Amino acid sequence: MARRVITLIIVLVLAYGGVAAIVATHTTPELGLDLKGGTSVILRAPEGTDPDVLEKAVEIMRARIEAFGVQEPEISISGKNGVLVQLPGVTDRERALEAIGQTGVLSFRPVKASFLRSPLLQPLTTTTTAPGETTASTEPTTTTTFPENVDPTTGYTIKDDPALLDAWLPEYDAEGKLIAGYEVGTLLDPETGKPDPLTGKDLTEALANFGADGKWQVNLRFNDDGARKFQEITKAAAQYPAGDPRRQIAIVLDGKVISSPQVAETVDPNLGIAGGNAVITIGAGDTQQSEAQDLAVVLRYGSLPIAFERDKVQSVSATLGADSLRFGLVAGLGGLILVAIYMILYYRSLGVVTIVGLSVFGSLMLIVLGLLSKTSGLTLTLAGVTAIVVSVGITADSYIVFYERIKEELHRGRTMRAAVDEGFTRAFHTILTADTVSFLAAGLLWLLAVGPVKGFALTLGIATFLDILVAYFFTRNAVSIISHGPLGEGGFFSIRAAAGGVQEAS
Amino acid sequence: MNLVTRLYRGETSFDFVGAKRIWLAISSALILISLVAIAIFGLNLSLDFKGGVAVEVTNVAGVDVAAVRDAVTPLGLGDAKIQMLAGGADIRVQVGTLSPAESRAFQEAVAKVSGSSLDQVSIDEVGPTFGAQITRRAVTALVVFLAAVVLFMWWRLEWKMAVSGITALFHDLIITFGVYALTRFEVTPATVIGVLTILGYSLYDTVVVFDKVKENIEELHTDRMTLSELVNRSMNQVLMRSINTSLTSLLPVGSLLFVGSFLLGAHTLRDFALALFVGIAAGTYSSIGVASPILATWKEHEEEWERVRRRKERGRADGSRRGAKKAAVESSAASKTPQAAPKTPQAAPKRKSGAAPRPPKKGKKGRRR
Repeated sequence: MARRVITLIIVLVLAYGGVAAIVATHTTPELGLDLKGGTSVILRAPEGTDPDVLEKAVEIMRARIEAFGVQEPEISISGKNGVLVQLPGVTDRERALEAIGQTGVLSFRPVKASFLRSPLLQPLTTTTTAPGETTASTEPTTTTTFPENVDPTTGYTIKDDPALLDAWLPEYDAEGKLIAGYEVGTLLDPETGKPDPLTGKDLTEALANFGADGKWQVNLRFNDDGARKFQEITKAAAQYPAGDPRRQIAIVLDGKVISSPQVAETVDPNLGIAGGNAVITIGAGDTQQSEAQDLAVVLRYGSLPIAFERDKVQSVSATLGADSLRFGLVAGLGGLILVAIYMILYYRSLGVVTIVGLSVFGSLMLIVLGLLSKTSGLTLTLAGVTAIVVSVGITADSYIVFYERIKEELHRGRTMRAAVDEGFTRAFHTILTADTVSFLAAGLLWLLAVGPVKGFALTLGIATFLDILVAYFFTRNAVSIISHGPLGEGGFFSIRAAAGGVQEAS
Repeated sequence: MNLVTRLYRGETSFDFVGAKRIWLAISSALILISLVAIAIFGLNLSLDFKGGVAVEVTNVAGVDVAAVRDAVTPLGLGDAKIQMLAGGADIRVQVGTLSPAESRAFQEAVAKVSGSSLDQVSIDEVGPTFGAQITRRAVTALVVFLAAVVLFMWWRLEWKMAVSGITALFHDLIITFGVYALTRFEVTPATVIGVLTILGYSLYDTVVVFDKVKENIEELHTDRMTLSELVNRSMNQVLMRSINTSLTSLLPVGSLLFVGSFLLGAHTLRDFALALFVGIAAGTYSSIGVASPILATWKEHEEEWERVRRRKERGRADGSRRGAKKAAVESSAASKTPQAAPKTPQAAPKRKSGAAPRPPKKGKKGRRR
């Protein structure tokens, strides 16, 4: 008996104390987009896109989205070729969509010059001096002008286009540190003189492998058009002596130079590299291996034939989100009150146990969701709120199964104590069986679903699990304690009365 | 003792299995109506299944449907589906698939006419192939779930129970979709979740009844009770549980449905809650009216139960005093007065041991005749 009381106290302290702690430390569950407003996008890559390429795409989307100041975008790969992007509080929906919906722009460009820091950041004094005599000398930097489309703080081209005749592009290392800047041009069509860039569309294959010379390399294959352009570009580069930056070819993805291989000395300046096949030699060693593989992925990603398709775009305004949350809570609370009234009318003192039990259940739910939200980025969505409302029904069922069992055992003539113990053993068996079915449903939903449905399944699964815990550690002990006290046998409010009569309580 | 008291005490003795023709008639009628409704009206599939654009916005300017239609007609969207939600406080406009530029123009038009800025507009934009994908996923989930559940029930209970349970499940599914077809409520992905949840509920209910049947078969296995009687008894024992559980599940879900539908116009909640509401109600009914009668009828034909049944029928036909007496004891046991109740548990083991040698004897006699 003492053990039961102690267990009960522990459960209550854990549940209510836990909630207090959660609220005090602001660990309450993070709200999902549909409850606080924002934009969510489900994108689909073409069937059979390789997973590395998908990851690269996600990485690039994240960079683009962060570039225009979205706090904590959530981007995750779901399924084989789906990407779920969640942008809390995003109002400039169009721009966000533009940034995430496209494949990276890949191009091969002739290098005009290389530099460590953008030369555009140097004061361009020449543009302001000549006419003024003394006035210009003191503040030439303030009048510095930048070419159009150049970021004044970094000096690099903001929006890259492979057809630009002149662009300043940075190259970063793996940690995101700037290692070099390049001024690049574009390939011109020899007949028309118009830009005719060599882009990802012209690339058909990029594979990393270990070459016969014992070095890691990336093999490229171009289509016919690409082969011709590649020959042009290498022919031009081969004019310059080895070591000259202009002998390099910049491989640009999304406005950043990914790699800048130099055309080999063996290449004939009159021929270039013909035939549509090329090899970029990286070197031997482990870092070179990953470098080669990364480069191959980047090239494949940039040469994806079709951009991502938008499967579903959903924007929820902040007010609608808040409304939904309020409605969900109102509905949930309303339902809870109705259940509480019913349980008390029907089960008397046991109904009170149910209500306390439901509050313990609710507290534990909040604690688990809060912790998961903190540790694994779970967010509470409308579907999750609904799942909680629904789980009130499931949880109430466990009480009913138990109480009906007690009644049955009492009718068989057992003593109150025996009826409670035996009733629990048997009811728990049933609860386990039935909860297994619910758990199965939740688990499958979780595995198969996308986005919000996943949230529903997860919440339902947690609820089912907590239901079992609460039944075992709380309900059983609470009912047992009551059955030993005055509420067991006599009076309108007792368990005996709930079982259908006091007359035979002998 | 009146009915309410007996219900309260779990001592009713309704002949559920005996009424199987009535259940069959009700279920057949419901299924027929559902199938006809689905065939004639079809399901009102939401945007997510068909693809298209829907916007939802607060009606700041207080405009009516006609004004909204006027606003979108110049864009060639005169046939848009326009709804007033929450008594005209919110507007929802839905159209088919649009190009990004058209979509933008559409959003702006609705925002303008309702007096809101563009970032206060909630937008749902779905590609045309998304629906096929989620339908495929839902079907996969359903199939895997059914297979898993059949295996689980088979292992935990027995395979005839598994099949009976699944049959009841299909019954519930058809009726739920029938209600959607009749009410023209939208079928959304949320509905699909609702339906998948119902499957859990429906089975849960059936599992509880069957669990009791199994337990009773083990405990009360005698020659005195036919399987139908045993199933009946089990169902009567869990009847209050079924009613109470359904009520406590329907109350919160009903609250969702009511709040979602009438008070606040939150259609997401509503679409979901209707599926749950109908499904839970159907699930409760089907565990009583479909799953159990199927099980009883099917299992009754197993050899050992067949024997018990024949012997009992024979006893009745003979009208022998012993048989009549027994029957009298039997029926009073079903609605036992409390005073007599204590004897039951003590009697059970005795009866069990005493009964064991008896059935074969009688069975043999029966066969000889």
